[in-house]
Amino acid sequence: MSAGGILATDPACFSVPLLAPYGGTARLDEAEGHIVLDGLEAPTDDPTDDPRDDQAADPANDVGRNAPESRPGAAGRRELVRLGAWQFVSDARTGLPADPEATPSAVIVSTIHLEPFLARGDVQLAGRLSEFARGLTHIQSFLEYEPIYLVVPAIHAPLVRKIRESVRGTAWIELVSVPLRYPFDHFGILARHLGLKADPERPVWALPVAGVFAFDRALTQARPALERIISLGGPAVDDPAHFRGVVGYPIDEIVDDRLRRAPARILRGGALTGSPVGSDDLGLDAECSGLTVLAEAADRQFLAFARPGWSRHSYGRTFLSRYCPGPPERLRTALRGELRPCVACGQCVDVCAAGIMPNAIHKYLYGDDIEAAQRLRVDLCVECGLCSYVCPSKIELRQQFLDAKRAIREELTVEEVPA
Amino acid sequence: MRFILGILDTARPMFRPGGRLAPLRPIFDAADGFFFSPATRTVVAPHARDPLDVKRYMSAVIIAIVPCLVAAVHFYGLRVLAMVLVSYAAGGAVEVIFAMVRKEEIQEGFLVTGMIFPLILPPGLPLWMVATGCAFGVLVGKEIFGGTGRNLFNPALVGRVFLALGYPRAMSGAWVEPGTGLLGRVFQYGTDVVTTATPLAAAKGGEWAALPKLLFGNVLGSVGETSAIAVILGGVFLLVIGIANWRIVAATLGAFAVVSLGLHGGDVSIVVWHLLAGSLLFGALFMATDPVTSPMTNAGKWAYGIIIGVVIALIRNLTGYVEGVMFAILLGNVFAPVLDELFVAVHVRRLREEG
Repeated sequence: MSAGGILATDPACFSVPLLAPYGGTARLDEAEGHIVLDGLEAPTDDPTDDPRDDQAADPANDVGRNAPESRPGAAGRRELVRLGAWQFVSDARTGLPADPEATPSAVIVSTIHLEPFLARGDVQLAGRLSEFARGLTHIQSFLEYEPIYLVVPAIHAPLVRKIRESVRGTAWIELVSVPLRYPFDHFGILARHLGLKADPERPVWALPVAGVFAFDRALTQARPALERIISLGGPAVDDPAHFRGVVGYPIDEIVDDRLRRAPARILRGGALTGSPVGSDDLGLDAECSGLTVLAEAADRQFLAFARPGWSRHSYGRTFLSRYCPGPPERLRTALRGELRPCVACGQCVDVCAAGIMPNAIHKYLYGDDIEAAQRLRVDLCVECGLCSYVCPSKIELRQQFLDAKRAIREELTVEEVPA
Repeated sequence: MRFILGILDTARPMFRPGGRLAPLRPIFDAADGFFFSPATRTVVAPHARDPLDVKRYMSAVIIAIVPCLVAAVHFYGLRVLAMVLVSYAAGGAVEVIFAMVRKEEIQEGFLVTGMIFPLILPPGLPLWMVATGCAFGVLVGKEIFGGTGRNLFNPALVGRVFLALGYPRAMSGAWVEPGTGLLGRVFQYGTDVVTTATPLAAAKGGEWAALPKLLFGNVLGSVGETSAIAVILGGVFLLVIGIANWRIVAATLGAFAVVSLGLHGGDVSIVVWHLLAGSLLFGALFMATDPVTSPMTNAGKWAYGIIIGVVIALIRNLTGYVEGVMFAILLGNVFAPVLDELFVAVHVRRLREEG
């Protein structure tokens, strides 16, 4: 018996086969009116675990094509939740976990991931096209007329053509390409780009590539998605790599011997949005999209503000690196300046992909006026971190907006309870 | 470099809370931050930051002013440097006292104010007036609003208005005859004050100064603003590195040119003369572009520049004043928050359509 194979069928309802959750040998004990499975063996080595081994005999292929039709709607969603695949689905407009009960107004599947040093979506796709196509088919099974938007780097790329061919007839995808510039890969920005309105009744499902694989795994093979491809990158890593990580895999073991310098900060996620891995974080968690390592800043530069800055790459144009581009210096964890009041330089407005005015919102939040911040649509902030990155006054804009959004959310929940 | 760091590290404990010199901590921190980049690290995401900081930002403005300062020393003598020093001392003292009282850090903004302020004064002004004006400007124009970044008005202009209203005779008659020749007054202190009319005042009587003179700056006028070439040089630098906003400059100069053209019956040569004369260029490039006191939105910046340009043209041509840049920019500062309200509301409405 291989994983995903048909264990048993119900004669009264033969279209719903019972699939084997693991590969192994099963012994069947027949009792009256029941089937008792006994002695299901522990999972054995499974060729589907190897993403490069796509052409190899994939035992799931035999039944995969049938699965979407046979597990529609609510049952399929329960299965996704039960097997942990639902964690990949978020509401594109709010960034919060999507409600498995609600009917989506659209689905966005993104194959791009643009935050520096993290695994790009298409890296994850390589060699797993059939799984990806099957996952898309599964997504289609939850929809009626709602579109699936597939965000790709370039519509006419060979890889994209292959995807389109492999889902022809089973999933109706609409290809979308966006500027390949961080943070245009953010689902909130994508949803706005596609003109999808925020609606609590009809969320926009947002799935990364890993989510599609998890759908496929849960619905075709009825197995949990424990494994995902993550990257280890960043300026302080000697030997950047992609690897398959299992939830709970010790981070120390991944990072060991790959660091360039000793004092380094390991981040779960990217340099712009990640959070530091603390000493009590033992292993990879389910949401980890990659590990980024930055060298901790230690040195203090003499007259740093007056130097020409040949290697200091900056968004602004006050450093000469702008005019004579050379190799950029390595990113470090230095704050690179002192905290100052906002000087209204306007750089945060220029970089904001969400089209809000971080400086104006900051001005109101500084005066504790959350309502004004709400009016200025702080909720549209996608937390990309670019405003904090460019701020010459080193104001923690991203953190302030996160706090404000949380405060607004809590306030809304409180208001809703009596009603 | 190591020994400076050594001295700073040795002295550091004395300025920490409980140390003997704890009240002087802002001064120590300013020196520490001046010589060495801060050692602070990021705590929350993003974990890496852009190298641009406010020190660099303000230093860029100082660099842009250097051509004006060089021209000023050439035409009006070493006294200009004395004025700059006095201005820095007075403005710096106010800044330090406020930093100590507030237990905050000294902010770099006064470096720009202290530099710009003497450049918009008549070169023969008594030094004590320079000190008083700068102290008033920093105190009233900036500190009582909460320091750099929170001020409503350009502090240098507040100081200048104070002097213009308090000492009108000195402010309108302390001109110095510009030096001539290759070296000008570079080796002179320059105190021989004259009270003859500046080009703009003379123009009211129908006497037009030659254009090359306005370009090079060997005419009577405020310290740093007579040489159009030096002002343009510094201003273009500021525009190129993106510190000055081109929209404000374009709107101010454009609106001024259009209104002047109308008032002078389409005489282009008079408009060009007016563009180069007086403090229009200096005001448009260095003072109206102060990001703190100008609007945040791009549309607001256009409107702000247009207000300033129109008001300058109206004051110069239709009132008893010969120059209106100071009042026009302060008026623009008054309008800036209103313009922000207006255009931010437009922005919000557009966002609402986004859903």
